[in-house]
Amino acid sequence: MIDFRPVLFVVGILLVGLSATMLIPAVVEIIFGRPDWRAFVFAAAATLFLGGALVLATYNERARLGLRQSFLMTGLCWLSAAVVGALPFTLIAVPLNVTDAFFEAMSGITTTGSTVMIGLDHAPPGILIWRALLQWFGGIGIIVTALAVLPMLQVGGMQLFRMESSDRSDKALPRATQLAAWIAAIYGSLTLLWAVMLWIAGMSLFDAITHSMTTLATGGFSTSDQSIGAYPQPAIHWIITAGMIAGSLPFALYLLAARGRAMPLLRDMQVRWFLGTLGTVIVGLSAAQIIFASQDFSTAIRLGAFNATSVMTGTGYATAEYDRWGTFAPAVFFVIMFIGGCAGSTTCGIKIFRFQILFAAAAVQLKRLVQPRGVFIPYYNRRPISSDVVESVMAFSLVYAAGFATLTIALSVMGLDFLTAASGAATAISNVGPGLGDVIGPSGTFLALPNGAKWALAIGMLFGRLEFFTILVLFVPSFWRR
Amino acid sequence: MIDFRPILFVVGILLTALGASMLIPACVEIYSGTPDWRAFLFAGAVTVFAGGTMVMTTHSERTPLNRRQAFVMTTACWSFAALFGALPFVFLEFSLGFTDAFFESMSGITTTGSTVMTGLDTAAPGILVWRGLLQWIGGIGIIVTAVAVLPMLQVGGMELFRTESSDQSQKIVSRVAQLAGWIAAVYGLATLLLTIGLLGAGMTLFDAAIHAMTAISTGGFSTSDQSIGAFENPAIHWILFIGMITGALPFVLLVAVFRGEGRLMYRDTQVRWFFATLTSFIAGVWIAEVVLGREETWIAFRLSAFNVTSILTGTGFVSANYDHWGSFSPVVFLILMFIGGCAGSASCGIKIFRFQILFAATGLQIKKLIRPHGVFVATFNRNPISQDTLESVMAFSLVYIAGYAALSISLGVLGLDLVTALSAAGTTMSNVGPGLGDIVGPAGTFAPLPAAAKWLLSAGMLLGRLEFFTVLVLFAPSFWRQ
Repeated sequence: MIDFRPVLFVVGILLVGLSATMLIPAVVEIIFGRPDWRAFVFAAAATLFLGGALVLATYNERARLGLRQSFLMTGLCWLSAAVVGALPFTLIAVPLNVTDAFFEAMSGITTTGSTVMIGLDHAPPGILIWRALLQWFGGIGIIVTALAVLPMLQVGGMQLFRMESSDRSDKALPRATQLAAWIAAIYGSLTLLWAVMLWIAGMSLFDAITHSMTTLATGGFSTSDQSIGAYPQPAIHWIITAGMIAGSLPFALYLLAARGRAMPLLRDMQVRWFLGTLGTVIVGLSAAQIIFASQDFSTAIRLGAFNATSVMTGTGYATAEYDRWGTFAPAVFFVIMFIGGCAGSTTCGIKIFRFQILFAAAAVQLKRLVQPRGVFIPYYNRRPISSDVVESVMAFSLVYAAGFATLTIALSVMGLDFLTAASGAATAISNVGPGLGDVIGPSGTFLALPNGAKWALAIGMLFGRLEFFTILVLFVPSFWRR
Repeated sequence: MIDFRPILFVVGILLTALGASMLIPACVEIYSGTPDWRAFLFAGAVTVFAGGTMVMTTHSERTPLNRRQAFVMTTACWSFAALFGALPFVFLEFSLGFTDAFFESMSGITTTGSTVMTGLDTAAPGILVWRGLLQWIGGIGIIVTAVAVLPMLQVGGMELFRTESSDQSQKIVSRVAQLAGWIAAVYGLATLLLTIGLLGAGMTLFDAAIHAMTAISTGGFSTSDQSIGAFENPAIHWILFIGMITGALPFVLLVAVFRGEGRLMYRDTQVRWFFATLTSFIAGVWIAEVVLGREETWIAFRLSAFNVTSILTGTGFVSANYDHWGSFSPVVFLILMFIGGCAGSASCGIKIFRFQILFAATGLQIKKLIRPHGVFVATFNRNPISQDTLESVMAFSLVYIAGYAALSISLGVLGLDLVTALSAAGTTMSNVGPGLGDIVGPAGTFAPLPAAAKWLLSAGMLLGRLEFFTVLVLFAPSFWRQ
């Protein structure tokens, strides 16, 4: 039997931390003279009580977390953060029901950005800042998880990144806490930088801060129903495009860059592939707009760059109804949803490094077909990949595809049309945000979906965020045995 | 440099036989007193001439084909068969035009069943026979290829099926030839029995023979625009249901049954999984139909059994417009397309044994996550699967998905809407037949698509039929070097 106490202890600490941050929206509400500060104070108190109780009840000479406990801890942390993060939404003056609140909080903490709220332009500022904060915490949370926890758990090829962050030298940054502190500092200063830039470009201070947080988290919650389409300034679009890209690069490399070693960031094959893929998609989509929608050149490039980056990195802002750019745009957006950014960033999706490994493996297969007795080895970042990693990346990708198919079937059984079901499933497990079509497309919301679909999508977001296997493993009987 | 002579020799023999078989529709035309016998006679003459020339000019003391030549031969055989099979359609009184003719012929020889022809009910009988024959030849062709050639080439895990047919003794060729003879006999017998059954159930001899040929080859060409919907007798539906299932079983095991070793069929896990998959999908769709209250209970059962089997096995007969069975049906039928039947049958798609292996691999991954230092072995049919096979099956599945995505995007670029693009790509790569939606759906045809889309879809059929890697390997530079 697994000892739950250290797991619950970590969860408790997380909750205590979250409760403290709920005071930020409370203060914002008070500053703006709005009534909903009570909701946040009450939610904070409830969270503090729950978290404090967990910490106190499970505290002892801190037993170390084993492998199974780490799996459990990862899943529980994200789930409980979503549950607790939903509290304020149910307590405000115009409350969301439990399903909607959980959906919104899960969409926030997983940095998805699908929303069930309409009338954002007139929503209480506390709510807007809370949605942004959820995504911001979700962003830093997944970076730390991806650097400190997933490589140890060897989920879906993440063991590749073990060396880079921890194993290479004993002195580099030996402990996860220290690593987390560095990452947090970088993440914080990037957020600050982008907030200032957006402010200068013409956003209000409040909007600049919230958008800066959801940009770097590649989350995509906005303060307007029209998303970034509400801001006409091209400068804002370009700043946010750059911010989304910044959020999609591996933070471990920022860490090295911050300590004076920028070369790895420039030489990293994953970064190059990411920028190459993104560039190709942008060129294609801009061309499509010019050809099919007779858009002028600079607008086409700006809209193409913004929306392609937004969907591929899993942010989910929109500045245009991009699914109307000719027949080919929906297919392209549908496919790039799955791609995502780099490992160890705030993005989700299958991620670039897995595609690199899959390509390398497919090339090896072709060579083996030609010369069945030859020995061929796939390479990643100029190093050979072990066959364990290849297998685990392949299994990940196939489980991803199977998860997508299952979720699509489940959604369509609940009555969603083909396009809504398929794009909703994709956008949820890849943590993108909007889907395609009239219901959940860039100009729609998820509000109209049946409750069952919202729960299914929320679960999909969690699975996608934690790279499937982290959660799947909890459902295997042998996990719980002995 | 590869020596093309032995390849052209084989292709020549194939074409000579194909040309000779064009006399059958010519005879049918003469018998029914319709004018198109000239088209078949002329096409037959051209084909026999081309094939004869190839045989004459390349004849030498036959050297056995090496690996690379076998790859080229496989692709060349199928491409040439499609090319020359298209000739009768071009020479018709109402000529189809070259693009449509090639599409129809490729769709026939790969046992896909997508059609560009309307007005089948009043079409020349010779044409209908030729379409049936193309599929019938394609069906036996792929079974022999899958038993004799693909295992040797080790394409996508097909090496698993090598031991059963070839490796057991040194007299490989004779054994393969013997096995091919047995398979042809069983295939012919099954066709005969189906014809008699359909005749008994009330079809004309003409319709019975054609539908028997296209059912056993899981092809799906029919003699009516309404496909099997034109025949009201439920017995016809059930006989074809059995025919399609027979066509989707491994023919090596069917041969074993004829030799009195029925136990092998019963014990084969692939066959068991196939029936389990088929039954659960039939039951699921049936229940959904009854719950939605669209059809009377037993009619719903027959419709579900027939159409699910038709799509799963890649046949493509339709007895109802399943596209409109409620929101779930397009998604379910799209996913069914990819599954396919057993390896070594006439069906296409990813195939059941690959899903078994993928499941085993995923289970292995999860076990490894829980016990990173444990040693676990995946098994198939109670035998351990080698690492190589595992990787090649995974690579196959991922290339399948990537090919699907690429084809869908290309069709989107050509102006097809998303549902048409996604389902047309799926249905051709998996050699099913009809797609979804108003254009290529069960009630439509592929005729309105742009010519470029037809060429792409034809290429997709060939790639899917030859298990991707057989064709892809020809595009690897290293294949042609040395």
